[in-house]
Amino acid sequence: MIKAMRRTVAAFAALALLGLGGTAGAQQVVKIGAVYPLSGNSASTGNYAKMAFEMGADIINNGNAELAKVMPLAKGGGLPGLKGAKIQMVIADNQGTPAAGQNQTLRLITEEKVAAVICCYQSGITLTASAVAERYGIPFLNAESVAANLTERGFKWFFRTTPVAADFAKAYSTFLNEQKAAGRKVDSIAIVHENTEYGNSVSSVLADAFGKAGLPVTQKIAYSANSTDVQPQVLQLKEKNPDVVIFISYTSDAILYAKTMKELNWKPAILIADDGGFNDPAFVKAMGSVTEGLISRSVFAAGKPGSVAAILDELYKKKTGGDGLDDVSARVLQSFFVMAEAINNAGSADPAKIRDALRAVEMKPEQLVAGYDGVKFDDKGQNVQASTLITQMRNGNYVSVWPKSRATHELILPYKGW
Amino acid sequence: MTRYRLLQIVLVVLVLAYPLVVAGSPVWARLGALVLLAAIGASAWNIVGGYAGQVSVGHSVFFGIGAYSAVVTYTHLGLPPIAGAPIGMALSVLVAAVIGVPTLKLSGHYFSMATIAVAELVRVLSSTSEFLGGAQGLGGPPVPRGVLDLSFISATPYYYIFLAVLAGLLWLTHMIERGRMGFYLRAIKDSERAARSLGVSAGRYKLYAYMLSAAFTALAGSLYLTMFGFVDPESGFGILISVKMVVMAALGGAGQLFGPLVGALILVPLEELSNSYLGGQGAGLTFVVYGAIIVIIARFLPSGLLSLLDRRRPTAPRASKTVDGHAD
Amino acid sequence: MSMTLVQVVVSGLLLGAVYALFSSGLTLIWGMMNVVNFAHGDFVMLGMYTAVMIWTALGGGPWASVPAAAMLIATLGIASYFLLVRHIMRGPMLAQILGTFGLALFLRYGALWTFGANFKTLPDDLVGHSFILAGIRFEGARVLAGVVGLVVTLLLHLLLTRTAIGSRMLAVSEDATAAQLMGIRPQRMQALAWGMAGAATGIAGALIATFFYTSPTVGETLAIVAFVTVSFGGFGSVLGALVAGLVIGVVESLSAYLIGPVYKDVIVYILFVLVLWFRPQGLMGKA
Repeated sequence: MIKAMRRTVAAFAALALLGLGGTAGAQQVVKIGAVYPLSGNSASTGNYAKMAFEMGADIINNGNAELAKVMPLAKGGGLPGLKGAKIQMVIADNQGTPAAGQNQTLRLITEEKVAAVICCYQSGITLTASAVAERYGIPFLNAESVAANLTERGFKWFFRTTPVAADFAKAYSTFLNEQKAAGRKVDSIAIVHENTEYGNSVSSVLADAFGKAGLPVTQKIAYSANSTDVQPQVLQLKEKNPDVVIFISYTSDAILYAKTMKELNWKPAILIADDGGFNDPAFVKAMGSVTEGLISRSVFAAGKPGSVAAILDELYKKKTGGDGLDDVSARVLQSFFVMAEAINNAGSADPAKIRDALRAVEMKPEQLVAGYDGVKFDDKGQNVQASTLITQMRNGNYVSVWPKSRATHELILPYKGW
Repeated sequence: MTRYRLLQIVLVVLVLAYPLVVAGSPVWARLGALVLLAAIGASAWNIVGGYAGQVSVGHSVFFGIGAYSAVVTYTHLGLPPIAGAPIGMALSVLVAAVIGVPTLKLSGHYFSMATIAVAELVRVLSSTSEFLGGAQGLGGPPVPRGVLDLSFISATPYYYIFLAVLAGLLWLTHMIERGRMGFYLRAIKDSERAARSLGVSAGRYKLYAYMLSAAFTALAGSLYLTMFGFVDPESGFGILISVKMVVMAALGGAGQLFGPLVGALILVPLEELSNSYLGGQGAGLTFVVYGAIIVIIARFLPSGLLSLLDRRRPTAPRASKTVDGHAD
Repeated sequence: MSMTLVQVVVSGLLLGAVYALFSSGLTLIWGMMNVVNFAHGDFVMLGMYTAVMIWTALGGGPWASVPAAAMLIATLGIASYFLLVRHIMRGPMLAQILGTFGLALFLRYGALWTFGANFKTLPDDLVGHSFILAGIRFEGARVLAGVVGLVVTLLLHLLLTRTAIGSRMLAVSEDATAAQLMGIRPQRMQALAWGMAGAATGIAGALIATFFYTSPTVGETLAIVAFVTVSFGGFGSVLGALVAGLVIGVVESLSAYLIGPVYKDVIVYILFVLVLWFRPQGLMGKA
């Protein structure tokens, strides 16, 4: 009898404690939603993004002594602006479809009550998912979709940290004109692009920009993504033999192009791979040895030891079991830290306050993991200081070679390959 | 009979009251709307795939035409997207005639494969079309300009719109089922040769069924666009859209009035819930579970879930029909 | 110019032989049982992972992975037959789409779960370097796959048309009940067909992996090609699949080179629909 009573009392006490703990805990956790392609054709990218988010949250919540020297939020113990509230990432799968992207965003906002959303990788999904966040008045941060129209919709809750296609185009044309000035032949440029949203939008912006910059695009080859064979395309290139080739491809085709160019023994003097599949860790690992001197763009370059980027790169390698940060994971991680900074500055998990804090965010290049000139949003929510680096494959790793101010290595041309 | 009637009334009331029951949860309200939308597509497919037995695996052509008609009506004419629905339906009927005349001659799997090829053809071509926004796709009004844009925060209005459309479609299907056309279609499905020898113009009736099915599939596409506000070649013409229509109808019971709805009632919540609870782990577990459940249902109930009911009713219309896949 | 064109045709032929190889399993089952296997592409995918696993775990090349994949996928085929296909054949044709589509999702995402989403590749000199013959470049891995593709499809064809077991299998596919009366056990023959189809598919996967990338969703890319090849050639006709595979390979390569890679699928699909328009039973199918 007494035993039973004691047990009841203990149970009530536990319940009360749980209840208290629950409410106290609720104040101490800020939820951030992330909707990424964890299945479908971009599953590989989505899973790298997921690891970046988990690592970011771990750094804010549990701290990292080395990083804390250069990054105040990395001291551990959560967000100081919210009395040490922890960040909880709620990650959902958009399955690579706009419908699932929108459904999951709605779920995170209404069921999980996230304070903000970071989303979605594919531009089309970003377009549909952000419409939900806009209606519910939840800050929506996009880390990597480059479609120009996303910031042209008059949305009040939409922010984007990544540079867009026009920024890449400017970087490439400046870079190529510099090569021309240095005496290299840039008389014929071929653009090879896959035929979904990414390849189509980037290639048309590139062609426009090159036209204005006086760079002759002599060949434009569109192909369907996930080809079974790319020999005809490479043979077309081989026949025209352009000075510069630019590939805009996803991983599957990137692997085939690298293999096929070696099979058919053809290489241009300057080979540029616009990010995408050529930056996928799986590509770098498998094809790095046969694409020595490949030029790519990336917002990420590890830089000198002790920098924010270098430390995070090492941590990420531990997290993934060997793969360092790349263009996409660095952009994702950057968006996470921008959001953490904004929530901390807002001093609240209230969406409206977070949005105001995002509008006021100002971050310097040395605070960043991505190689931007900084983070500062304009009225449309675009990060006006977003920029890109140009990198080159050296011994199976990308190193930054342009612009000069951020280069860690000298550019070596012509393209060496295998 | 009275108990049956009572059950019917309870079901109708439940369906009508569903959004009010789950009013507190936008996710559940939306789930209801998604089930109905999927049921419209699958029921439309059912007319030609289920009743006439012509297994089209390329119905995404019509779904995409519906969705694109709606969005083009907005982007190029500035009208509310839903105004494009009749255009999409008319266009689909036309396209169905063009595709149907040569392909409906084909028997069994050849017809299925031809429809897949046509759908893939249209998908590739759509991604090269400037007018349709190319591979980037097109978006509807980002911010609703008025109630006619049918762009709502809450899923409840969509639920009732979709419910009305589905009810209309099922009523129409029911009338066909009971009428002469339904009789002809069943005859064609059982044995086309026998039907022909009885003087049924098999080709004509198959084409009618195909065109009617196309029109409503297009309507499903237009409704999809008003709700999601975006379409690109993959989400409009992708092969998965066709396959899902087939799978939903087959799972519930193809060639039966409520088969596709039952299929949608199982598959859509299964997909959404498994994605919500398992998707975040990022290991593809969603589809492992989803796939396994489909396999199990196909294994034990190859004629669909509604065949469970048929077993109790000895005079089921097609319970004994087991080998039509091998008839050709 | 003309030399490049010859190179394009040659690469198209090699590609076509591979298409034929991974389609032959599909056409066998299709013809034998009138069953369409929507999981076929995923069978190929598992064959590819077998090769990747044997390379990463044991360092073995195609000589090890081809027999292993053949056995593994044959087992998978027989298991699918007894556990699933046998039962869904009792239902309407739609049940096949339902069941094998479910199986496809299960296998595809089971692979994602097991192997992760990352793209895997085998070292490109595993089969030998590329070589030049009469001014045309050949790559070892593709030549091997192409030659094996030709040999396996021809052997399958001979087996079906020239041997006792082949005629027994065909008897079952013509009329299972009549075959049973003649003392043939239909289920055993059908299981055998699934095993043979699985073996051919496994071989195809292990060989494709030597020059292609491997990922959980790669089966999707290959499945549509296989469907088109098989119905182009005529269901059940292994020889038809071979001819269709070669035609499709060359047409794809030529149209990609001459017209533009985006349109190569368009050309193939148009050709396919035209073939069905004039020959509703495919190139070599029975009317």
